[in-house]
Amino acid sequence: MLRNTIFATLVLTAAASPVWAAPQSGQTLYADNCSACHQVTGKGVKGAFPTLVGAPIVQGDGKLMAGVVLNGRAGMPAFKDDLSDADLTGILNYVRGAWGNKGKPVSFADVASARAQSNAKAKARGLQAH
Amino acid sequence: MDGVLTRRRFFESLAAYGGVSLAMAGMDALGYGFGSAQAAPPTLEGGGKGTKVVVLGAGLAGLTAAYELTKHGYEVQVLEAREFAGGRCQTARNGFRHVDLNGNDQTCQFDEGLYINHGPWRIPYHHRSTLHYTKLLGVPLESFVNDNDAAYVYFEKGDGPLKGKPVRKGEIAADARGHAAELIAKVAAKGGLDSALTAEDRDLFVAYMVNEGRLSATDLAYTGTEGRGFDVQPGAGVSPGPGKPSTPRSLADVLHSGAWQTLTSVTGYEQQRTMLQPIGGMDQIAKAFERKVGGLIRYSCVVETIRQDAKGVKIGYRDALGQKTEVAADYCICTIPLSVLRGIDLQASKPFKAAMEGVAYAPVNKIGLQMKRRFWEEDHFIYGGHVYNDMPGVGTISLPSSGWQSQKGVLLGYYSFGAEAAKISAKSPADRAAFAVAAGQKVFPEYAENYENAFSFCWHLAEHNLGGWAEWSEDGRKTAYPVLCEPDGRLYLAGEHLSYLGGWQAGAIESAWQQIGKLHARVRAA
Repeated sequence: MLRNTIFATLVLTAAASPVWAAPQSGQTLYADNCSACHQVTGKGVKGAFPTLVGAPIVQGDGKLMAGVVLNGRAGMPAFKDDLSDADLTGILNYVRGAWGNKGKPVSFADVASARAQSNAKAKARGLQAH
Repeated sequence: MDGVLTRRRFFESLAAYGGVSLAMAGMDALGYGFGSAQAAPPTLEGGGKGTKVVVLGAGLAGLTAAYELTKHGYEVQVLEAREFAGGRCQTARNGFRHVDLNGNDQTCQFDEGLYINHGPWRIPYHHRSTLHYTKLLGVPLESFVNDNDAAYVYFEKGDGPLKGKPVRKGEIAADARGHAAELIAKVAAKGGLDSALTAEDRDLFVAYMVNEGRLSATDLAYTGTEGRGFDVQPGAGVSPGPGKPSTPRSLADVLHSGAWQTLTSVTGYEQQRTMLQPIGGMDQIAKAFERKVGGLIRYSCVVETIRQDAKGVKIGYRDALGQKTEVAADYCICTIPLSVLRGIDLQASKPFKAAMEGVAYAPVNKIGLQMKRRFWEEDHFIYGGHVYNDMPGVGTISLPSSGWQSQKGVLLGYYSFGAEAAKISAKSPADRAAFAVAAGQKVFPEYAENYENAFSFCWHLAEHNLGGWAEWSEDGRKTAYPVLCEPDGRLYLAGEHLSYLGGWQAGAIESAWQQIGKLHARVRAA
């Protein structure tokens, strides 16, 4: 129920965006953006990509978790240029409730605030790397 | 003249004492800057006298270390996790197999003679370290077309009439710079820039703008220029005769398209227009090294433990048969990417291990698409170069710089990194290919009908890499990076991740040079 309320909020907020299309579910967004490494099962790949099942970060402070996804850490890339606050909220809440995880829901406002706090400024990305 | 130490003789004497690198350092110190790249390996004078070094990883850093150390009297063993040398210096051609961490099992189906460099693929002319070895080891090179005015740019996120339309880069360049030069020239000619220019410089400046934008010298107008192409090509006789000039696009159309993002005064440092590639694939460099030091490499040996004490190092590994074995040496040069090294039982100081956490590794995707015919050459007159675009997950489409006018070709269907790459890598190889073909079809109408087969590679899903290259944050460069550049006990790290040429083979080579130089100084001092 709480989750539905959150989604209703984020749809309203996201409506301000001109390119907004029908919202995708957190599960779909997770499958698209995260599952290559963390796997659809959330279990990751041993020795390479950490499991999200029962992981402290996933069940702890939501803003902290949002910060990790926005800015990346260790081997994980930064997603700040690739996920809207609305999409990220959906993904985080899916992960926090999936596979027996018991993380409290994250609000759109928490995610927006985590983005605002993110000190890593978005650098203009070059057309090519190497 | 005798007794006068001319500059030239000074450099020659430096070279005589300390080798070319010292001479280069001397020239840099005197302001004859050659840039940051090192040109030659350290000389390791006095030799290693049988000191044992175990090198972990047979990528370019490991191969460089093994080659140079062996040449100077060190006893070297190399452990390599894969069954071939090269590390990221790989080339996929017919029969090349790759199984990624998600179990996607691909065997390259390209026709004989075709290949894709899914790792490094080009060498800027100033990467003298890489070019040192291609020359020394006899790896023949050819031009890599890194900039092509005839290639299309394709931007679908802008607006206006150019949105979602392939346009040749030269047209965008001519029009954007022509219109800009016209605006500036007219302001300058009327004295609008006099606060920044002297009266004499004003005329020169206007002349420069006329030249830069190919403007009319009489009224400073930009009305198009031959270099952007013709609507009817000039030719023989009266018809086509002089041909029909093309009409420039308006400044507003170019601005709104977003395609101007492909234009800069000069290329980025790493994106020089003159680039080279080994004939037949980048892995020719690895193979050339292998001919020299292949006998020192134990293949299919996965490192599990790295131990050290005051006397030496012990490396535990699992060999091809699954047997656990150990090798001992005086020192270790470890070129394993930090992304992988983090998962290995490593005996190192706390600050060193903490520093290893301070770096991210980039998800990087590439895909090679085999095409039945070279429609980009035959129908579009594009010989090599890149199709810059703003399609998420595609990054760059690139046309091959080899095999001109042959029947088939393999082009690079996408080259993307970061979160976009993570997303596409979740797809099956077949779906990745379908994604790439659909993207290319927007640029070339012949794309889908000519597509035959694909080979895709995701570096973050490659077991022994877990990422394309190290990505240092500013913080990480300040705090973690310097710690890892110094040895921890008897352990020396080397690789592109310990250079400011990150992701380039030159970074791996020069990092190895630097570390063996340090190691040698220590051995000599002991």
